Amino acid sequence: QANQPADSTTAGARPAAPAAAAASAPAAGGLGGIQGQNIFTIKDASNEPDYAKQTNGERAKVQPGNNAPMWRAVGAGAQGYTSLPKSEAPEAGVLVQPFVTYPGSRHTTAGEAWRQVRNNWLIPYGGSLVLIVLGALAIFYFARGPLGHSDALDGGARIERFTPFERAAHWANAIAFSILAISGLVMAFGKFFLLPLIGGQLFGWLTYALKNLHNFVGPLFVVSLIIIFVTFLRDNFPRKGDMRWALRLGGMLSRDPNGELPSHRFNAGEKLVFWGGVLLLGFFVTTSGLVLDKLWPAITYDRQAMQYAHMVHAVSTMLMIVVFLGHIYIGTIGMRGAYTAMRRGWVGEAWAKEHHAYWYDDIRAGKIPAERSTQPAVPAEPARAA
Amino acid sequence: MARMKFICDAERCIECNGCVTACKNEHEIPWGVNRRRVVTLNDGVPGEKSISVACMHCSDAPCMAVCPVNCFYRTEEGVVLHDKDVCIGCGYCSYACPFGAPQFPASGTFGVRGKMDKCTFCAGGPEANGSEAEFDKYGRNRLAEGKLPACAEMCSTKALLAGDGDVVADIFRNRVVKRGKGAEVWGWGTAYGTQQQAAAPTGTKS
Amino acid sequence: MLLTKKPHAGTPARAEGARSPFVHSLQRGLSHALPTLDRRSFLRRSGLGVGVGLAASSLTLVKKAKAAEGRETAVGQGKVEIKRTVCSHCSVGCAVDAVVENGVWVRQEPVFDSPINLGAHCAKGAALREHGHGEYRLRYPMKLVNGKYERISWDQAYNEIAAKMQELRKASGPDSIFWIGSSKHNNEQSYLMRKFVSLWGSNNCDHQARICHSTTVAGVANTWGYGAMTNSYNDMQNSKAALYIGSNAAEAHPVSMLHMLHAKENGTKMIVCDPRFTRTAAKADQYIRFRSGSDIPLLFGILYHVFKNGWEDKKYINDRVYGMDKVREEVLAKWTPDKVFEASGVPEDQVFKAAETLAMNRPSTIVWCMGQTQHSIGNAMVRATCILQLALGNIGVSGGGANIFRGHDNVQGATDIGPNPDSLPGYYGLAEGSWRHFAKGWGVDYDWIKARYASPTMMTKPGMTVSRWIDGVLEKNELIDQDSNLRGVVYWGHAPNSQSRGYEMKKAMDKLDLLVVIDPYPSATAAMAAMPGKEGDLNPNRAVYLLPAATQFETSGSVTASNRSLQWREKVIDPLWESRSDHMIMYQLAEKLGFGKELVKNFKMQKVKGLDEPVPEDILREINKTNWTIGYTGQSPERLKAHMRGMHMFDVKSLRAKGSWVDKETGYDIAGDYFGLPWPCYGTPELKHPGTHVLYNTNQHVMDGGGNFRANFGVEKDGVNLLAEDGSASKGADIQTGYPEFDHVLLKKLGWWDELTDAEKALAEGKNWKTDMSGGIIRVAMKNHGCHCFGNAKARAIVWNFPDGIPQHREPIYSTRPDLVAKYPTHDDKKAFWRLPTLYKTLQQKNLADNVAQKFPLILSSGRLVEYEGGGEETRSNPWLAELQQEAFVEINPKAAADRGIRNGEFVWLHSPTGAKLKVQALVTERVGPDTVWMPFHFSGRWQGVDMLPYYPAGAHPVVRGEAVNTATTYGYDSVTMMQETKTTICNIERFTA
Ligand SMILES: Nc1nc2c(c(=O)[nH]1)N[C@H]1C(S)=C(S)[C@@H](COP(=O)(O)OP(=O)(O)OC[C@H]3O[C@@H](n4cnc5c(=O)[nH]c(N)nc54)[C@H](O)[C@@H]3O)O[C@H]1N2
Ligand SMILES: Nc1nc2c(c(=O)[nH]1)N[C@H]1C(S)=C(S)[C@@H](COP(=O)(O)OP(=O)(O)OC[C@H]3O[C@@H](n4cnc5c(=O)[nH]c(N)nc54)[C@H](O)[C@@H]3O)O[C@H]1N2
Ligand code: HEM
Ligand code: HEM
Ligand code: SF4
Ligand code: SF4
Ligand code: SF4
Ligand code: SF4
Ligand code: SF4
Ligand SMILES: [Mo]
Repeated sequence: QANQPADSTTAGARPAAPAAAAASAPAAGGLGGIQGQNIFTIKDASNEPDYAKQTNGERAKVQPGNNAPMWRAVGAGAQGYTSLPKSEAPEAGVLVQPFVTYPGSRHTTAGEAWRQVRNNWLIPYGGSLVLIVLGALAIFYFARGPLGHSDALDGGARIERFTPFERAAHWANAIAFSILAISGLVMAFGKFFLLPLIGGQLFGWLTYALKNLHNFVGPLFVVSLIIIFVTFLRDNFPRKGDMRWALRLGGMLSRDPNGELPSHRFNAGEKLVFWGGVLLLGFFVTTSGLVLDKLWPAITYDRQAMQYAHMVHAVSTMLMIVVFLGHIYIGTIGMRGAYTAMRRGWVGEAWAKEHHAYWYDDIRAGKIPAERSTQPAVPAEPARAA
Repeated sequence: MARMKFICDAERCIECNGCVTACKNEHEIPWGVNRRRVVTLNDGVPGEKSISVACMHCSDAPCMAVCPVNCFYRTEEGVVLHDKDVCIGCGYCSYACPFGAPQFPASGTFGVRGKMDKCTFCAGGPEANGSEAEFDKYGRNRLAEGKLPACAEMCSTKALLAGDGDVVADIFRNRVVKRGKGAEVWGWGTAYGTQQQAAAPTGTKS
Repeated sequence: MLLTKKPHAGTPARAEGARSPFVHSLQRGLSHALPTLDRRSFLRRSGLGVGVGLAASSLTLVKKAKAAEGRETAVGQGKVEIKRTVCSHCSVGCAVDAVVENGVWVRQEPVFDSPINLGAHCAKGAALREHGHGEYRLRYPMKLVNGKYERISWDQAYNEIAAKMQELRKASGPDSIFWIGSSKHNNEQSYLMRKFVSLWGSNNCDHQARICHSTTVAGVANTWGYGAMTNSYNDMQNSKAALYIGSNAAEAHPVSMLHMLHAKENGTKMIVCDPRFTRTAAKADQYIRFRSGSDIPLLFGILYHVFKNGWEDKKYINDRVYGMDKVREEVLAKWTPDKVFEASGVPEDQVFKAAETLAMNRPSTIVWCMGQTQHSIGNAMVRATCILQLALGNIGVSGGGANIFRGHDNVQGATDIGPNPDSLPGYYGLAEGSWRHFAKGWGVDYDWIKARYASPTMMTKPGMTVSRWIDGVLEKNELIDQDSNLRGVVYWGHAPNSQSRGYEMKKAMDKLDLLVVIDPYPSATAAMAAMPGKEGDLNPNRAVYLLPAATQFETSGSVTASNRSLQWREKVIDPLWESRSDHMIMYQLAEKLGFGKELVKNFKMQKVKGLDEPVPEDILREINKTNWTIGYTGQSPERLKAHMRGMHMFDVKSLRAKGSWVDKETGYDIAGDYFGLPWPCYGTPELKHPGTHVLYNTNQHVMDGGGNFRANFGVEKDGVNLLAEDGSASKGADIQTGYPEFDHVLLKKLGWWDELTDAEKALAEGKNWKTDMSGGIIRVAMKNHGCHCFGNAKARAIVWNFPDGIPQHREPIYSTRPDLVAKYPTHDDKKAFWRLPTLYKTLQQKNLADNVAQKFPLILSSGRLVEYEGGGEETRSNPWLAELQQEAFVEINPKAAADRGIRNGEFVWLHSPTGAKLKVQALVTERVGPDTVWMPFHFSGRWQGVDMLPYYPAGAHPVVRGEAVNTATTYGYDSVTMMQETKTTICNIERFTA
């Protein structure tokens, strides 16, 4: 650092000769080089060597009172000294957040940039996205009605589609998700639809409760999501026929009532939800959520970390909400029998055949047992999850 | 109506923390919450300057804009206040605030921070002026008593100026003219917007 | 341009009734939900208010203003009183309005009217109200029993302490107890303390001034008359240039910077010379870094350029200064720029620039403080500064002066009239005449007092000093100049970690028979005493008692600020818990010891919490009656109280009342007065001397506070006239040349004797102005003839009665520079110096022989942080302050740190040549040069890496504890005053290993 001032001496140093006497000659008319304090005498020093690189101390010598170098550093987020301990107030030394450009923001202080991202993009577009998807599902429902004919337990022998463990894991996850989504949505959008309705006070308490719920349910969700992932991993690997299913969207849009394409235990759509929704979005949602919750070990939780985490969280949760709105739609009113399958765990042969033909074939062929929960020989999913 | 503003004169501030303890004292602020703090740049080397900073009561306040429960409000004097009964302690205001003003009584694991607290410009909160409830939650309401913020009133060198924006800018401009240096009004542009910078003295910039 | 109140004060910001728009919207929002309920009842009924437990706990952020003893007051109810008091932390003397509700100190308001601080405060002053909480204070008397402090009653404490004291007195004489008084006591208490010790029969008493400005007081008083700041903080607004040398005012006297920074805006040039680039240096126009301890080379280096360029004020020197010619010769010969550079490290151009700034911008002032005083040659350093100011003709001039920033809030007052081992109040000395003067003032028989002493010799022999009490305990008996070693110590408002050689102090403390600590925060001493020491050091009979003293906010009295102004503190609250005011304790203890009546003869008693306490006003009146020397006679309680109420009438620059203003309660008109009647305020209160704002100022009439240098050293020296030359006298004086001090003889010779009234004559006969209890001599000389009662003489550039008449640079005993030790060796050893043998040369030579400079290559200096004060136990117990400085640290230059592999924030071991080692955090900074490290000295409660928490009395421990630098400081004492050498010692630093 070039901060050793010309004015100071390294006490104790012993240069060979006393300082040149010539240097002591008073500047003509001036006061031994002391800079005038009058505003009119501030000279233009911009052609000093390395003017732009000067430290604040150096600048003060050629242009007293010009603190531009320091303010530049401050603008860049320089950490100053504060007597507050770092452990208690890690960012107390930062006077003003540094300038950044977040996707969608102007070049401005980080906080303001984050605000722009959140308020100009995430909230309006995220909100619109959720609304549009809701709308689309509604339209689809009214236009198309529930898919499929057979209700879950119709016709034929019972086949165990989800073991109790699978169901438990799924429901835990589903409930957590719903709580998170609802509380998250209230946090993000509540002030537009709820606040005017119920007033600030009630809305405040409600949101406070939901926010804390969100914060504590989040980590539970993380755990359940991992279990879900492990549990359903095996049957979600891509298999023959998935491509065809995917290209024609499983025939869902076709008006042919028997148009559903055959699939294994999970069809390509479900697999897409699994890989894209559960794994990919889940990863971003949970990691960013854990950061927002200050649970991720060994990070400094400064504002910038939180801003990033929030932006990732907001984007990924909006997308996740959208994806799982679709999932939930199909899983409830969107498809006959699906819900029962998930709730009871059993389906009839007809349902299996209609929706998961290959899977049904495999069961018929005895490759997959029709009843798994009572068969200890089956690879122990729970053990793996644990 | 006057618009309340802070100016901290870096040429005068000596990092004595008088403003900080004045605030603690006046509002009984607990350990860990610092409505105001002092930052020293170029600490220990020539060019060292200190700045006392708290909430700047921004004209277009980012904290207010991001608050999910809309608990902020602005008084007629331009003071940015919030309602602790409504605040959910989400911390968004602290992410958004360029000055690091919002403070939380707890550490924040599981996102539990407690209700946000910040400089009120000594103007209390939404409760009745001077009420006990107001004091408990927000500290004293000095403005309602016709007094200016404790921190500025007690500043050891009168580096920290608080009050009607026009008045404090005048005082500051006067000093700048007299000393011919140290003209930057720190944080003014960020907090009060550039259109108002005309009212503030403009500094030597490079 | 000082911002005070909002112009339209009184107009509520948000008028009641017209609630903010937000509240409206809130209500509107609510009414949507439940139209008929208000918000609160809604919350209650809905259960939401209680349901969210998390919310409730964190909702009430601010604590209720709470009182001790569980008295809780609601805000906005009850009786509200405003008490005007003064910050008890430093000598600036900032006024504070305390708002008291039902006996609880609930708020603190700035006093904009105070001409000293205009409402401004530093961190300590702004946190003053914590004294009303006193959470971590000692609550009741305690006694050390088997290593633990146990609660006892006041009666038991008094009985046991008194018995023990009498026992020691009987066995070893009254000088076996050392009384450490306090600069925290107000004037009345300090004065009473000296009286108390005198009536006990000893001169073994001292207080902080010894280790603070004793060298200043001695040096300055011997140069021109009084040992005090000549001008004031306010007057610095009139300076055209200011040199701060060894003062870090921005941290130590923050509010003084209010005036300086204002002056700077009007063009004042500010120079700071300091081994550290301090917060004050950051505000300077020129900063000069120099080697710690080399003040004389630097100052004389500056003086060299003054003389060389003929910038000295020749007429002023001729008229008003003695001995400057010799100094001139010596400076020109000895302190050439190369020598200055060699000794101080400052190149010539910087020295020249400073000299030129001071010379070309007169009046210029010099500020100094601990950087100059705390050295074994401190007395010489401060005189070098005086000489520079005299050469420039800056003393006795508004805007000039020696602005000596004093330390504790009342260290000036305690120095003036408090427990000093070498003098009675008012610097009266210990000669028989002084004793008789005071015996008369006290109304106590002189012979009775004499009988209290071990012998008449001990009565006139200066006692030991606080800096050396440990040697009074540890030194071989045959080497000390009193019968017995010290066996008992009373710490009465003084911390232990402020004295050097803490490592040895532990041993001395263990050897004592009796240790009594009387303090609101006795904890540092308590913990040190309770901590197990070395095997065998502990005296099995040792008794340790802690008595809870009340703070200055729990009593009333006057306090003298650095600028010599006296301010009256009103009592804010009753003593908290079981604490009692110091003067009450003095009285009660004296009763037990058998001299209670003598102590309080002239005082009425008042009841405080049902107990008798001497009335402070009466003590002040006794002070007024006796302390003529330094003009503590005019400041009657009535005048002081009127000043406190009429503060707004005083001009900020001149401190003078701007007009007539009559105080309602006392009927006193302050017209013409200087604020706080800065001493000397001569004569009786009726004389209405206005006090003295600028000392020795010949441009004013003496009755306007003008003056000249004091005639205290004879009328001639070796044939040279010591009195002022013809034509040099204060404005309007009837004698326009030098003259000696006034006494009955001079008065008669001048034919002015008959201007005395008969009553005055009776008292003045055979007396001088200092002992004339009528004040008549002063009245006639000053009022009738415009002459200064203390004469009109020259200031002395050569103080021939000091070891170095002309200040000489001498290396400290522990120096990092053997080459310079050879050139500038220290003094010869002294035998019975303040009753103790004192080492100089032998120890310095031993250090050379032992190569300590190689083993301990870093200069260790210490000083202040703005948040803490003194030993710091009091301020570290204040959470508002403690939060701001949580860890003891040592500043070390990046180069020195890199050499030792130390990174910022890491812990290090700091090793002292005494064998002590400190575990502290490294603050790597260019604030210090590579050869110097610096530590704040305010910490205690950790001892060589170990937390002392278990040894504190339960509940009475400070919030923040840290390693005390004085555990590591070394031997070294000023050759005149016994000031400890705490600014320049040596150490080494290494990375911390467990
Ligand atoms: N916050 C706070 N304020 C205080 C106090 C306090 O404890 N805390 N104490 C009060 C008291 S009791 C006093 S006496 C004053 C003291 O006030 P100051 O003396 O101003 O304070 P210090 O920090 O002790 O020392 C001043 C400077 O001396 C420098 N110094 C060190 N060695 C040398 C040297 O050899 N020569 C010179 N010229 N300078 C040197 C140090 O680097 C330091 O910056 O402050 C008073 N005010
Ligand atoms: N290394 C190093 N050592 C130093 C210094 C340094 O710069 N470096 N500076 C020196 C200087 S200048 C000084 S002045 C000293 C200061 O050192 P001290 O004066 O010893 O330090 P304080 O802690 O201020 O001690 C004052 C004590 O008085 C108590 N007290 C306060 N008010 C009252 C009261 O009304 N009554 C009674 N009875 N007690 C009261 C406080 O609780 C506190 O315990 O330290 C000296 N020591
Ligand atoms: C599918 C699951 C989730 C959804 C839909 C979701 C949704 C949201 C939404 C919409 C927000 C508000 C953003 C805003 O207002 O700008 C939010 C904030 C937050 N989320 Fe999530 N989230 C999910 C999972 C998680 C998880 C798993 C965690 C933690 C492990 C978590 C922790 C947080 C935190 C800490 C916040 C910040 C707000 C606060 O502290 O109150 N979230 N989430
Ligand atoms: C209320 C919300 C939900 C409902 C009603 C619901 C319903 C269903 C139903 C009916 C199935 C069975 C489909 C079939 O038999 O093929 C299913 C499967 C599945 N659900 Fe959900 N679900 C919900 C939420 C979630 C959530 C939040 C996740 C994960 C983040 C999730 C992950 C899965 C997975 C992994 C499967 C297995 C199929 C696949 O791999 O895609 N579900 N869900
Ligand atoms: S400074 Fe921060 S907290 Fe204050 S108004 Fe501006 S953004 Fe909000
Ligand atoms: S912490 Fe409180 S005030 Fe800040 S944004 Fe969140 S709800 Fe609003
Ligand atoms: S204005 Fe009031 S609340 Fe804000 S920092 Fe100052 S004292 Fe604290
Ligand atoms: S009180 Fe004034 S000078 Fe001190 S730190 Fe605060 S703003 Fe700076
Ligand atoms: S410590 Fe000194 S400067 Fe600070 S408020 Fe008290 S008297 Fe004033
Ligand atoms: Mo001191």
